Amino acid sequence: MILAQSNMLEGLKDQLQHLTADIFWLAPEVTLVITLVLLLTYDLIFRQNKSVGIVAIAIAGLAFSTLLLISNWSELLVTNSLMGGLLRLDQGAVFFKLLFVVGALLAIVMMQRHRKKDFFFHSSEPLVLVFGLLLGVFLMTMAANLLMVYVSVELVSICSYLLIGLYKKKSNSEAAIKYLLFGAVASAVMIYGMSWLYGFTGTLDFTSVQFVNGLYLVPILPLSIALVMTMAGFVFKLGAFPFHIWSPDVYEATPTPFVALLSALPKLAGLTLIFRFVQVLDLDFANWQLWLGIIAIASMTIGNFSALWQKDAKRMLAYSSIAQAGFLLVGLIAFSESGETAALFYGVIYLIMNFAVFFLIQLFENKEGRIPFDNFRGKGNQEPWIGALLLIVMISLTGLPPTAGFNGKLFVFSALWESWNSNGQDILLWVFIFGLLNTVVSLFYYLKIPYFMFVKRPVDELSLNNKPQIDRIWGTILVCPLLIWFFKSDGLLNILNSINFVF
Amino acid sequence: MIENLLTYIIFTPLVGALVVLLLPKSQSHLYRIVALVAMAVTLVLAIVAVTNFDTSVAGLTNSESQIQLTQKTEWFSIEMGDLGKFSVDYFVGVDGLNLSLLLLAAIVLFIGAISSWTVEHKKKGYFGLYLLLASSILGCFVALDFFLFYLFFEFMLLPMYFLIGIWGGPRREYAAIKFFLYTLVGSILILIVMIGLYNSVYDPFKTGVEAGIFEASVLPTEEMIIDVQQGVQNGAIDDADIVKSFNMISMADDANYLPYSILGRNSFGEIFGQSARWMAFLALLIGFAIKLPAFPFHTWLPDAHVEAPTPVSVVLAGILLKIGGYGIIRTAFSFFPDAAYHYSWLIGFFGLFSILYGAMNALAQKDLKKLIAYSSVSHMGFVLLGLAAMTVEGVTGAIYQMFSHGLISSMLFLIAGVIYDRTHDRGIENYGGLANQMPKYTVMVTIAFFASLGLPGFSGFIAELMVFIGAFKSYGVIGAIPYWMPIVATAGLVLGAGYYLWTLQRMFFGKFWVKDKAWKEHLTDLNLREYLMLVPLVVLILWFGIYPATLLDLIGNSVEGFTQLISESIQK
Repeated sequence: MILAQSNMLEGLKDQLQHLTADIFWLAPEVTLVITLVLLLTYDLIFRQNKSVGIVAIAIAGLAFSTLLLISNWSELLVTNSLMGGLLRLDQGAVFFKLLFVVGALLAIVMMQRHRKKDFFFHSSEPLVLVFGLLLGVFLMTMAANLLMVYVSVELVSICSYLLIGLYKKKSNSEAAIKYLLFGAVASAVMIYGMSWLYGFTGTLDFTSVQFVNGLYLVPILPLSIALVMTMAGFVFKLGAFPFHIWSPDVYEATPTPFVALLSALPKLAGLTLIFRFVQVLDLDFANWQLWLGIIAIASMTIGNFSALWQKDAKRMLAYSSIAQAGFLLVGLIAFSESGETAALFYGVIYLIMNFAVFFLIQLFENKEGRIPFDNFRGKGNQEPWIGALLLIVMISLTGLPPTAGFNGKLFVFSALWESWNSNGQDILLWVFIFGLLNTVVSLFYYLKIPYFMFVKRPVDELSLNNKPQIDRIWGTILVCPLLIWFFKSDGLLNILNSINFVF
Repeated sequence: MIENLLTYIIFTPLVGALVVLLLPKSQSHLYRIVALVAMAVTLVLAIVAVTNFDTSVAGLTNSESQIQLTQKTEWFSIEMGDLGKFSVDYFVGVDGLNLSLLLLAAIVLFIGAISSWTVEHKKKGYFGLYLLLASSILGCFVALDFFLFYLFFEFMLLPMYFLIGIWGGPRREYAAIKFFLYTLVGSILILIVMIGLYNSVYDPFKTGVEAGIFEASVLPTEEMIIDVQQGVQNGAIDDADIVKSFNMISMADDANYLPYSILGRNSFGEIFGQSARWMAFLALLIGFAIKLPAFPFHTWLPDAHVEAPTPVSVVLAGILLKIGGYGIIRTAFSFFPDAAYHYSWLIGFFGLFSILYGAMNALAQKDLKKLIAYSSVSHMGFVLLGLAAMTVEGVTGAIYQMFSHGLISSMLFLIAGVIYDRTHDRGIENYGGLANQMPKYTVMVTIAFFASLGLPGFSGFIAELMVFIGAFKSYGVIGAIPYWMPIVATAGLVLGAGYYLWTLQRMFFGKFWVKDKAWKEHLTDLNLREYLMLVPLVVLILWFGIYPATLLDLIGNSVEGFTQLISESIQK
């Protein structure tokens, strides 16, 4: 009896020691939590003029976690199992976390430059939610356990629902409820699928040998059902077909900085989840290339064709982000080392393009926070610099030279071609052809904004924010990488190549 | 100087564009001068390039050593782990296939700059975009790296879109987006093949260096290259050492295809049950045929031409269409000669059909510009027919036709612009007996029309004659297209004479009459600026009609090399 107790104590002590050792690796996440708490308490203590303090705390938190991430990056040699196997940290995860920090920072910049700046900073509520979301996506990139996957996905989802509903207006509540319902269904399906997987294998750690071996014993039909259901949750986060229907309403109603955040971070985190899940299970269990290929083709085609008819820039970009989700998947479908690198590259470019485009169109918001195309009418002549920047971003989103969007597409489709050349699965060729032809469709709507800006005659005067110079500078900073990475993309690619992205 | 000549040619207009961008709005009268000077310098440099071209060098189009004025530096390269590495070069050079077109581009762009003199609306944007367009066109003709070529090829679209969309006629928005979408479909088809190709082709020189067979500093001999090629084919060179490349010259040599690649000559790869090489050839052919444009991909052309302002029409008809023809020669035919031979009947047929269909459409037009646009479709059909013949005469004729049509169609669009500037109306039936009112203009129009319908003494005659000779010889020499094709194609000449003479009769001869009395006083004869544009063109058209050797010497060797490679490839 006593022996057993001391054994238990020993075990507990062991576990605690492990936990303290893990703290170094989890320091970025801990920083986020501390920042979150600080933001909350600051909000309680001070009554007026809170905005400066809130921004300062947020930026400090992000800066600190960046430093910690960089130190993680330089010391991380092998994949680390953390928290007793709940999380796994590799260079890929650190890289994505760095990307997410950049995303959050850009979102704060967008809030700062928003016409209704006060809304974002009169209390710490929005930023607390942003940090919650950030924590969620951090955990998503590291999750190695189905339970952890579920918890992190839910953390992201709940923060997203709240961010969307934060504006207390009818359209916002509608969008938030829509998103909530879709999210709840997707999560429910996902966790049901997970419970099947647990039942098959007796373990939640999907990186373990036991998990994989367990699956070998399961007949193909139930296994397929379980895997498809599990994937549903990830695809929802990615915002790809068939879980894309919520996006237009959400994008249209939500304040632009939040849209930029929601369309980039959870999407990329969802991509990493699919990536890891699929990679661990490999091609033995299911014809991933076929399934993901169909999802990619459907997302690209549906997204692009629906975007053609839109009259509001944010709605249009919502459909465009569905199509982009398809392009993000293309690199994965190749199932090769070069495909992996290409997908990462496309992810980086996507993040930058996404923030650039939302930052720039945010300048043309009307009082209700909507951006119908008429707002752009003739503005290119009044504000040629911003117009030119928007043109470059749109070209990049379409994927034409001389922008990094072209390189991104070139790399993912090259990887796909290579993969097809070596294994000859027909679906790969279809994705290849459909994906590239979709570019033509997308040009038609991406070019609409520059078209309104430069070709249409102006109807009203442009009223920019105060100090438009700052907007011009930020816009330029965001657009520069898109040009630089077209002309010199080997630097970034070599970094991405060095990332070992295997569990 | 000479070794960087082509780079200077590409970047001079770009520098001009930067100057235009940096000049403040208060100096807006300088924009057109900057544009003109930039284009004049470019023209001089292009002439220097022609004079420095050694016509005695043999012209095998798949041998880097026989390309002249080359410049090749690595732009970027990316390690792909086990899959080796791929590299993109800044690689420019000229041979007989593109030198004449480079010269043509420089001439037409210079004339276009004079023609742009009267643009008043949003000058900064106009001249900036014009110079940007010039740069990308020139770059497209000299680029020998597919990535670089594609960059320039795509980059042309955007300035063109805005030039038509902002400065065009009443339906400019429709025409601009139609132009963009059509051409983009073509470029995506090209991109699809490009991705396939660069994953299949390696650069033998760089691979040799990577594998340690020789040093980067040595000048490789033929034997060394063959060594590397054999090493790759029999697996002696490790996969990780292979440098995949976008080099268009390497792509034209079967030996440079990786043994397992689906597009290789010996791997007999299939796509959808068809030979992969045939499919790739078709994609390239259609991609460039849209640009050419050939029936049935031509419908964007009349719209774009009618709505575009005169200088843009000139550039569009004079040079942009030629990129389509050049692309077919440089990529589709060079990379996949076996597939080209397989489809030669089809290509010839579509060429023939374009000739007749374009001519008949031209007969039916009531708008002068539309008439000229359809005549372009008809004349570009000769390019396809000449190429499909696959004989030395046919291919030479095709290139000569592109050059000649570049000059003649520029002149025709300038002529249409003259009348449009004065009355803002291009309806053929709205004018009559203009010869009485504008005699000098009528002389120019007559020259241009006769040149275009292929009268001996003008450059068009030489071009079409050579196409016909080549097409007739084709069946006996190589068996590519049957005899009836050139025979039926002669009907195109008759129809051409028909629509031109009929237009001449309706608009210029007879008693003076215009639809609106008020036009009469606007209908003044040619002014100095218009002479400056038209007279040089007349001189050039006559020169190349009377002394074709000037151009044939430049083209000859390369075309011989080109056709030789094709016939070798067919026999394989």
